[in-house]
Amino acid sequence: MQTLQLLWAGIAQGMIYALVAFGYNITFSTSKILNFSLGNVLMLGGVTGFVLYMTRGVPFAGALAGVIAVGAVGGVLVQKLAVEPSLRKKSQHAWILATLAVGIVLRNGAEVFWSTDDFKMRSPLGDAPLRVGGAGGIGIYPQEILIILVSLAIVMTVEMLKSRTLLGKAVMAVSEDKETASLMGIDQKRVILFSFSLSAAIAAVGGLLVAPITLVSATMGTVLGVKAYSASIIGGLESGYGTIAGGLIIGLSESLTARFVSTGYKDVPGFLFLIVLLLVKPSGLFGKRTIRKV
Amino acid sequence: MSDGPQNGEPRPPLARRLTPLLLLLPLLVPLLVENQYYVHGILGRILVYTLLVASLDLVVGYIGDVSIGHAGFFAIGAYTVAVLTAPPALNGDSAIAFFPQWPFLVALALGVALSAIAGFVLGFPALRSSGPYLAVITIAYGLIIFTFINEQEAWTNGTKGVTLAPLRLGGVSLGGNNYIFVVYPFLVAVLWALRNIGKSFWGRAFEAIKNSAVAAACTGISRAYYKVSAFVLSAAVAGLAGGLFSQLDSYVAPNTFSYNLSVEFLIALIFGGTRSILGNLIGVTIFVFLPDLFTAFADSRLMVYGILLLVVLFFLPDGVAGVLRSLWGRLAGTGLARERHALAAAASHVDVFASATARQGDALVLEGVTMRFGGLTAVNDLSLTIPRGSVRGLIGPNGSGKSTTVNVLTGVYQQTAGRITSFGHDVGSLTTAQRARFGLARTFQNLQLFQDLTALQNVLVGLHQSFRSNLYQVALWTPAARREEWGAKVRAYALLRFVGLESQAFEKASNLSYGQARLLEIARALAVSPGLLLLDEPAAGLTSAEIEAINAIVRRIKAAGITVLLIEHHMEMVMAISDEVTVLDFGRKIAEGSPGAVQADPAVIEAYLGKHPTAIGAGAQ
Repeated sequence: MQTLQLLWAGIAQGMIYALVAFGYNITFSTSKILNFSLGNVLMLGGVTGFVLYMTRGVPFAGALAGVIAVGAVGGVLVQKLAVEPSLRKKSQHAWILATLAVGIVLRNGAEVFWSTDDFKMRSPLGDAPLRVGGAGGIGIYPQEILIILVSLAIVMTVEMLKSRTLLGKAVMAVSEDKETASLMGIDQKRVILFSFSLSAAIAAVGGLLVAPITLVSATMGTVLGVKAYSASIIGGLESGYGTIAGGLIIGLSESLTARFVSTGYKDVPGFLFLIVLLLVKPSGLFGKRTIRKV
Repeated sequence: MSDGPQNGEPRPPLARRLTPLLLLLPLLVPLLVENQYYVHGILGRILVYTLLVASLDLVVGYIGDVSIGHAGFFAIGAYTVAVLTAPPALNGDSAIAFFPQWPFLVALALGVALSAIAGFVLGFPALRSSGPYLAVITIAYGLIIFTFINEQEAWTNGTKGVTLAPLRLGGVSLGGNNYIFVVYPFLVAVLWALRNIGKSFWGRAFEAIKNSAVAAACTGISRAYYKVSAFVLSAAVAGLAGGLFSQLDSYVAPNTFSYNLSVEFLIALIFGGTRSILGNLIGVTIFVFLPDLFTAFADSRLMVYGILLLVVLFFLPDGVAGVLRSLWGRLAGTGLARERHALAAAASHVDVFASATARQGDALVLEGVTMRFGGLTAVNDLSLTIPRGSVRGLIGPNGSGKSTTVNVLTGVYQQTAGRITSFGHDVGSLTTAQRARFGLARTFQNLQLFQDLTALQNVLVGLHQSFRSNLYQVALWTPAARREEWGAKVRAYALLRFVGLESQAFEKASNLSYGQARLLEIARALAVSPGLLLLDEPAAGLTSAEIEAINAIVRRIKAAGITVLLIEHHMEMVMAISDEVTVLDFGRKIAEGSPGAVQADPAVIEAYLGKHPTAIGAGAQ
């Protein structure tokens, strides 16, 4: 029963990783760029949600709208202030450093202008676990159900919109070939900007979702961001649904290691799996292999 | 000292040769200043961290991979020294069961060795992945090491850390301010060796791999060997930095070695400027010093760093050191004029083809070579023989398989079927780099120059296999290594003169015009001392005067006994300089023979112009 309980918690945690991993995935698919500040955008979402919902007493729907707005604007700012200028540099990986720097600024900014403490956030659905399977059964937090449902809904909706709508097709065209997409009249800059905004908004919602089952703090996004990044690489950066597989692999390996080995080592198997996987399949489980042309 | 005048290498001016004496100055600091906080706390930290940033520079600056896991190597060095030297008396209630109490230097050497092994292990994923994929591997790697030092309490005492006894030599304490005397010699020796490696053929190989892995392979540079070596070297230096760090405060605890440390030092590196010792030093100094300069920033120091990094990324692409370098170059001159003069004088006696080795057999024999990509057959059952010393043209309409043929010949693609023999040796299963070492050189249709390097350095990369010095000779910059470097420079200059680019010798490849870049590709390929030279559309995009110049160069290459395979669209050029021409269409050979015969061949005319009465009529003229 305890194992089942941990499996459930691992799935909930894994879906948060998957959701943020999906955020990485969205910008990569349009611009081949990962926004490494996404973990701290998640933190920004969590903190904004906390301040609005707990400190200011704004209704949850209002807090959610605020979080989405903060994420969406944040994504635009990251793209305009950090990513776009670094693409003008000849150094190939300037964007990695630029987005990492943005993440550091966000985290330290939250510490300076908000707080360095950890806070408990109430779930809008209540903090009493539902008992499943009678007295010896497992406890399921309503928030965990919310995490799983919302994450799945977001990933599936965006993936569906990508293949069904004109904007989605524009996104796919830009991801295939920027030049040709431009020639077809697609404003690739706006598509890329939109993808950063959407991706950051999703991460911010992730922060609001995860806050009630962890704690809200300025550092809540650092490790989570790294793990979500691992999840997106494991799934394959080109594959939207692959992020769910990646997230679940990391989430479940964590809870199972904590159960059967030790809590201290819970991150190790997931990372080892990542390293070995990339040795065997350099573009992840569902990624595409490209033939280089000379 | 004595080698300078003999072979024409210019001696640096006296002032330049005396500057190393300035290196002794920092040793005065602990003698003159008593303040523990500034000397031991600040200066000591700067020295140790500079080593760490210099190690990161090898991977980030030279190889061009982003590592966010160097804290792991730093931790391996620090914990090896701490655990092996710590006395039980200072770790009374710790979880550590056994205290070996080794001497400091022995433990330090082992720390460096263990860290180097860890770097070797990380080198392999680095061969398969790059960019964001490799970055996540380095993060995972660093975090796994971090977890182990946190959790293996029986070895590391977990989060409570390990306390060391300050170093003593005889009766003298080497702790406190005196620790500078221990760290500084290591720093100077390692940075000097890294600088020597950086400006040698090793450093050029690293940068060649960074700029164009495929072109590096085509000059005989093994990507695996140099990339793994860079990771091993980098990890060893990071391990050394860690070992020295453990004695800085005589205490180590896991929290120092977190993911944040890796990120912060990456920022310090970029801030100061990559591939520059001065840059490493500046980046670290600002990093360590800033909180002291602006105490109000103590809490928001990371925010300041982050913003500073963004500013540097956008306005100073080569970091603070880059700005200083260009200022210094403007004030003091670069000394390039002297070097150019000496090179020109020495190169005037050099015959660029003197070292060509005599080879036996046909230059190239293909038997039934086939290349398929999925369902597409790009080259189909191709057989041809190119006699030694001839110029063979390879033509065909777009998509006929010419470029694929070149890529199969150089091992960029592995052929699906067939045999490739060159000068009597089966080369069909060799790697690209092995084929280049065997004597197969090429140019690239879509230019693959090493953009960050000068024209001269590009040719020097081509000469890579001619270097015989080992890593130790290079690191110590022995007279033999210096002589060899100068000799190669002279030869590279002579090759530039051969193609008419000597006045652009010190110009970055990225600044060359299109025609100059094509010539530089030829010079670099010739530097490999090839038996067979593959020219992949050398005339593409050139003016007729430039094409004339290339024709003349190809004729001289042929006269030197080098076989040439010329892939070209420009018919006039192919017909003018080829002894024989092979025509491909849809991956098959449709004609072969003298230029005149091929031009009249109806199959060739059909392939180019289609089946039409007027087209056939054109062939009858």
